[in-house]
Formats: sequence, C-alpha cells, structure tokens
Amino acid sequence: MKFKNFLILMIVLLVSLSACAPEPIEEPATAEEEQTDEPVESVEEVDGLPQACLDDAFGCAVIPQGETIKIGMGAPLLGDYSMFGTDISQGVSLALQVDDGFEGWTYELVAEDTGGAPEAGAAVANKMVTDPTVVAIAGHIFSGSTEAAMPIYEKAGLPMMSPSATEPGLTQQGSKVFNRLAFTDADQGMFAANLLFSQLGFSKIAVMHDGGSYGQGLADVVQAEFEALGGEVVAYEAITPGEADYVAPLSAVASTGPEAVYFGGYAAEAIVMMNQWSQAGLDDVLFFGCDGTYGVEFTDKTGANGEGAIAVSLVPPDSEEKSAFDQQYGEQFGVEAGELSAFSWSAFDTGGVLIAAIEKVAFVEGNNLFVPRGALVEAVRNSNYVGLTGLVKCDEVGECNASGPTFYQVVDRVWLPLE
Amino acid sequence: MIKKFQNLNITWGTALRYIAGLIVAVYLLWRILQTTSIQGSYGPDTWMRFLITGLVIGGIYSLIAIGYTLVYGILFMINFAHGEVMMLGTFAGYFVLEAFAAISAPGSGDQSLSLLNAYPFPALVITFFVGASVSALIGYLLEKIAYRPLRGAQRLIPLISAIGASIFLQNAAQLLFGPQRRQYTNPDLLWRGTGWMIPVGEKSVMLTYTGTFSFILSILLMAGLLILVKKTRLGKSMRAVAENKQAAALMGIDVDAVISKTFIISGFLAGAAGVMWGIHNGLFNHYVGFIPGIKAFTAAVLGGVGNIPGAMVGGMLLGLLESLGPAILGIDFQLKDVIAFTILILVLIFRPSGLLGETLKEDKV
Repeated sequence: MKFKNFLILMIVLLVSLSACAPEPIEEPATAEEEQTDEPVESVEEVDGLPQACLDDAFGCAVIPQGETIKIGMGAPLLGDYSMFGTDISQGVSLALQVDDGFEGWTYELVAEDTGGAPEAGAAVANKMVTDPTVVAIAGHIFSGSTEAAMPIYEKAGLPMMSPSATEPGLTQQGSKVFNRLAFTDADQGMFAANLLFSQLGFSKIAVMHDGGSYGQGLADVVQAEFEALGGEVVAYEAITPGEADYVAPLSAVASTGPEAVYFGGYAAEAIVMMNQWSQAGLDDVLFFGCDGTYGVEFTDKTGANGEGAIAVSLVPPDSEEKSAFDQQYGEQFGVEAGELSAFSWSAFDTGGVLIAAIEKVAFVEGNNLFVPRGALVEAVRNSNYVGLTGLVKCDEVGECNASGPTFYQVVDRVWLPLE
Repeated sequence: MIKKFQNLNITWGTALRYIAGLIVAVYLLWRILQTTSIQGSYGPDTWMRFLITGLVIGGIYSLIAIGYTLVYGILFMINFAHGEVMMLGTFAGYFVLEAFAAISAPGSGDQSLSLLNAYPFPALVITFFVGASVSALIGYLLEKIAYRPLRGAQRLIPLISAIGASIFLQNAAQLLFGPQRRQYTNPDLLWRGTGWMIPVGEKSVMLTYTGTFSFILSILLMAGLLILVKKTRLGKSMRAVAENKQAAALMGIDVDAVISKTFIISGFLAGAAGVMWGIHNGLFNHYVGFIPGIKAFTAAVLGGVGNIPGAMVGGMLLGLLESLGPAILGIDFQLKDVIAFTILILVLIFRPSGLLGETLKEDKV
C-alpha cells in the first residue's frame, strides 16, 4: 500500500512538473531566435513573407488560393438561448455570402457553440486562435462569454466586433481588439430610467433581473439612475433564469406596491413573468423590459397578457436595404429576420464592417492572400461604415453604435415605437 | 464524554453531523422568527399566492417523484432519464392540442370555432391520455433497451446507462422538434392567467383554472395509484417483487413483466405531469424535463426513496418550500433552491432514509 501511495505521489509530481516545464525552456529559446535572427529556418520564412507582414506586430494570416477567409464566432447555437446564436450567425453568414469576395477569395463564417457560457467562450476562443485562416471574430454573442474570450483574442491579434455583447465594462478594460455594434447596457439603463421617471412620470418602481451579467448590469444602472433622479426603488429582486413559474417572486414584488417593474433579462423569462402578471397581483403595473426581452416571440407568447409592455430594440428603421435583407433572410433560412432575436440586422452589419476592414488591409502576393493582423485590428477600430442600423463609427474604446436605442411598446400585440 | 458517546454507540462523525445540522436548523429558525416578526411586510394575499403556487408545482413534482420511487423500489436504481420521459409527454400533449386547435368543429357552421374550443373537456382528456401514453411507451422502451440488458450488472452501470439515455432523449427531441421554445395552445376556457378571484383581506387572489385543474388531476392520479398498488393483483405483485425478486419469481410472478409494468405506470404519471406542466406553465422546449426531473428526484429522496406516499409528501413539501421558503426567511427568491436543498441535507442528516422511508435491508441499500 505504501509503495502504491508513493507511486501515485510520484506520478502526480511528474505530471505537475511536466505541465510547468515547457514554458521556461521554450521562452528563452524563442527570445534568442528573435534577437540573433540567424537560424536557417527562420531566414527562409522571412524570405517568403512580404515586408508588411514582418512589420506587423502580430504577423499575417496567410490564406492560400482555394481556401476561404474565415470569420470566427462564439455563439449559443444550442440550448436555451440558441435563437440568439442561430439568428446572429445567419445574419453574419448572409453578409459574408452576398459579398462578392476579395480578389477571388470568398468569406466563410466559422460559428462554434458556447451555450452562452463564459468558460465555453474561452474554449471557443482558444480553438479560433489555432486556425491560421481565421482573421476576425464576429462576436462573441453574450457578454460573459465575450469577456472570457477577449484576453485570448488580444494575445493573438484577432479583432472582435460584437453585435450583441452589451455589458458596459467590456470596453473599459483597455482592449485593443474588442469593438461592439450594440449600444451599451449603461446607455440603455440611463435612457430607461430617464424615460420611467421623467417622461412616464413614475416615482415608485421595482427592479428585477435574472442574475446574469447582462440582466443584473442593466438592473443596477436603472436602480442607481432612477434613485439619482429622485425616484424610489421599492423592490430589487433576482429570479432564477430558465424556470416556468415566477409567481412567488412577482407576488413579493407586488406586495411593495410599485407603479412599474423594470426587468433586466431575456424574453424566455419575461414571457413567463408576463403570463403570470395578474396571478401575482400586478394587473395595473407597467412592465418595462430591455433589448433582451424585445422580439416577436414576446408578443406571440404573451398574447393579451403582454399588452402595454415596453422594451428596447436595435431594429432599424425601414429602408430599401432593410427590406432587401429581410426578403433574402426569409428565403434562405425559412424564418423572418427578427423572429429569432432582434439582432438579425446588427449581425448583418457586423459582417459588413469586418469585410470592409479586411478589404482595407488585405493584399495578394503570389498565390497567397495576406491579412496583416495588427493592421486589421486598427482598421476595425477605425471603421466608418453605414449599414442597415445606421452609422458604424467606433470611438477610442470600441463603442461603434452611433445611433442609440429605440423604445417600443406592445399595442394590439405588435411592438410599436413609443412616442 | 467520549465514554458516554461510546455507550450510546455514536461516533464522532455522527456527533459532528448532528451538531452541524443543529446549527443550521437553529439558524433557519432564528431567520424565520426575525423576518416574520420584524419585517412582516407581506400581506395575507401574498402568502395565499405563495401557497397556491407551491401546491400546484408540488403536485407536478409529486407525480414525477412517484416514478423515481416506483423504479427505485423495484430495481434499486435511479432512473435519471425520467425527466426526459416527462418531456416527451409534454411534446406529445402539445401536438395533440395543436391538432385539436387546427381542426374546426364539424356541424357548428362556424369556421373559427376549433374542435378544441367546441369540446374543451373531451379534448383535454384525450390530450392527457395521449401525452401520458406516449410517456408510458417511452418508459417501457427505455427499460427494454437501456436497463434490461444490464439487469445483472453492477449497480453503477444501469445508472450510467440512465444518464446516457437522458442525454440521448434530450438531443433526439432537439433534433426532431427543434430548439425553439413552444407554447401550449389552451382551450379558451382554461386560458393561462385566468381564474377565479378569491377575496383575501382587502385584496383578491387569482386561483388559476389551469392550476386548480392540474392540482385536482394530480391528486386524482395519486389516489388512483395508491388504489392500484394496495388493492389490485398487479399492485400486489409489484410489492412482492420489490420485497424479494427471487421469492416473487418462485411464487409464479413474472418479474420481467412486473418491471415493465412499473416503468409503464411511472411513465404514464410523468407524461400526465408533463402535459400539466405545459397547460399550466405554457412555455417549454426539449430541456423542460431536466429541472423538474432533478427536483422530483430531490422530492423522492426527501420523502424516502422507494416509498410511494413519501414521494407524494416530498413533492408537495418541496413545492411549498420553494415558494414559501424565501419569503419566510426573507431572502432573495433566486436562492429558493438553496433552501430546498438545505432542507434536504437536514432531512438526510436526521433521517437518512427520508421523511417516510423505512430503513432498508442491507441488500437493498
């Protein structure tokens, strides 16, 4: 027995040693190579690479003829939130598809499932950076998963453009690669609190959220802003996402007598809440949601119960390009644009912005297409693009939505812009 | 001190467990006294709402918990695919209701009147019957395919097979029916969010039609099951097989047939619970069985796994704990599962066999 224990201990030690070993050995070696620039192999590589690639901090993505220029994405494609991932990946892939390519190279979307979870976001990022033909990332989709993926893309020099990650802190971390089309939760929360207090004239509201970084982030902003304006937040309640019965927490909120309930979270929970609104004794209380609750699914599944609810959306105003996109989206995927989530149009623009940036920096030499990675990171940050959702122009931290949120209200089971 | 413990036949481990359990119990009691005496902000109407919610959800948990308990009583394995059996019942009920809603009632002359709204109660009975039967069939096949070939194997092996079956059924449902959330089409009479208004104090509380309907149906089904187990020949042979398989076989009972029937009964109840879930809560997708499955398993353990009245009591208790617990303790509703599982741990410390469970013989444990 003792011998066996000893053996196990040795194995554990060996494993831990071997896990640590490569780094200290490898790093000095590579550092030496860079300094001396002499080893034969690297000289050959240097000869093969254009000067622009050698100057670039992250080198080039080299894409041989016949291969596609890949754009990566980490999205919830399966599970409870798969409608977001499915919709956004379809929107982006449509943008890549309608583009006629660059000098014979076409674009391809590589979407991997994260289930919306942070740890899966990091795993997808690690997978993306190992593929040399992935040049940019459309996403990630959920804030938590995006935050986990950012440092990995930062190291590899892959620019990100998220159509939907709205957590305010994401652009405050000094990331060079992260940009987003979505307006921030902070902006949205401020606008919502203002609307509730100043325009709708409420003085007592309740704030609820689903405990996620998106929902709770929004709820916190609304609470702080509403109180700063002089209103009273009478209840602050979290619910467990993914459940089918919220009568208990809603009743608790109802007992505090709010005039409106702000909810930070997604349609899945908002629909259940709305259908239990009168059971919980909230009949005359206004439901005020966010861009996560907006969508056709909400009106479909709440029916008469959803009347009067307010939410926020990225759905752009009508235009010729929008109807062309809507038609093509419907034909290709069998669902209407916006039916799965409100991000169809932002997703399309995300694809467009990334293509525009790639075409600014990519060049062909011989049989290969070269995309200097560092230059592409800058090109995405310097985007100046007009898409379906309006002007895409990034500020110095990567906030690229220059148009802001629109509030919608359910009138006769349809979302109409709030006046 | 040590001598005393030895005399009582209590080891230090048991003593520690008891002390830890007592600390948690005292803390919970203290919280309850504190919140109910100081805050006391909830009116009687709010308490009434908590109670109603707890009973409805408790009835559904009970029905599913019975399935765990029946199977455990006979095979001593936890059928972890039971939640998925319920999920398929939910889907079956959904498609039946959709069909009723799509066909217009013959002879009424009104095209907009669907069969569902013309004959709501027969339609619902058929829906429940089809949903429950589909689940019963799935339960039967599950046993045939995933468990019977492993009958003689070690105890862990069918358990792993059960987890595999659960994953398989979940993904099969996603591939067949898609990942999107669907919503039950109720007859207008039983629309979700409508019900009787009961005056409580100055306010009134809604007693939903769907909730009342679900609760009564679950009580009826449970009563039916008790009669079946206690009074019929099949029930007798089920109890005999649970007691001792070899002896039952020697007495001329077809053990395999009894096991199959047990799976059919537990599937039937789970399917009925699945349709109730759909009618009362509305939204569902292929994950619908997961959480109720876990909760019902907890309920079965709480009541004493292997004990049928225990599963019923456990389910109701868990439903009530979930809705009343956070309010009584004055904590966030997000923590309702923490309360439910804390109670579970307390029960396991003080009564390891569950609230109503009897101490099992060595070979059954």
